[in-house]
Amino acid sequence: MGAKRTMTLNLTEAEMEVLTALSAKKDLSKTALLRQALRLYQVVEARLESGNKLFFEDEVTKEKAEVMML
Amino acid sequence: MIVPVTTVELFNVVRIKPEAAELLHAITEQQLADWEGEWVPELFKAMQRLRRADVERRQWPQSRHWDWRKKAAVLQGMLANPGFSIVCDGLTQGMMIVDTVKHQARIEGQQGKHLVYVMFVENAPWNRAELFDPPRYRGVGSILIRAAVALSEELEFHGRIGLHSLPQANEFYANTCGMTDLGADPEHDSLRYFEMTPEQAQAFIAKGA
Repeated sequence: MGAKRTMTLNLTEAEMEVLTALSAKKDLSKTALLRQALRLYQVVEARLESGNKLFFEDEVTKEKAEVMML
Repeated sequence: MIVPVTTVELFNVVRIKPEAAELLHAITEQQLADWEGEWVPELFKAMQRLRRADVERRQWPQSRHWDWRKKAAVLQGMLANPGFSIVCDGLTQGMMIVDTVKHQARIEGQQGKHLVYVMFVENAPWNRAELFDPPRYRGVGSILIRAAVALSEELEFHGRIGLHSLPQANEFYANTCGMTDLGADPEHDSLRYFEMTPEQAQAFIAKGA
C-alpha cells in the first residue's frame, strides 16, 4: 500500500449513525469502511460507464431489480 | 507512480539455496514484457513437449490461455483490484491480481464478511514442477498468497481470503496454505472454492515458507 494522506470528514448525525452501524456490522473501523465504499463506488461507476447495468437478484426467485444510479 | 517493494526470498532449486527477490505491490510494464517475451515462449515450448509425450490435455497448464496484458489493462487504475508480482534474477517469477469488493466470506461463522478474493495467480513456467524438472524457484505461490493475506489484514479483513482453484492447484491451497475446501462451485465452472479464515491466516503466516 502507498503512503496515506489525512482528511477531515464532516458528517450529519444520521450519516454518522449509519457509518457507525455499518462499521460495527462489517467489523471494520470507520476509516476502513469508507475506503471500502470508495473502492466499491469506483467499480460501480466504471461498470456503468462501460454500458453495464446494476442489478440486485433475489437468490431464491432470481427476480432482478435494477438499481437506478443518479 | 511509486511502487511499494518488499524484500522476500525464493528457494533456488538448482543451486539449493535461498535467493533474494522483490515482491512488487503492482504489475508494471516490465512484468507484462516478461510475460510476453519470456513466459509465453517457455509455456509454448513446454506444451509442445507435453503434446509430443502424449500427455493428456487435462494435465496441460490450465492457465495457458491467460493473457496478463489484457487482464492488467481491464483492471488498470481500479482500487479494488491491486496486482502483485515477484521479481528474482531480473525476471518476473509470478503474478497475482485480487479483488477486494465483489466477494464475501462463505464459511460458517464468517458469512457476509469482507475478504480478499484472489482472481488470478500464476507462476512463471520454469517454476512449475509439471513443466520443468527441476523447476527453477520454489516459494512463489506461498509468497503471493501471503501478500493477499497481508492485504486482507491491512484492509481490516483479518486475513480472510478466498479463491477458486484450478484443479492442478487444489492440493497447494488445501495442504500448503491450510485453506478450507468448500467444494465445487457450479457458478464457477465447477472449480473448487477455497477460503482462509482469520485463524487459518495466522497459522499460515506463522508457518513461514
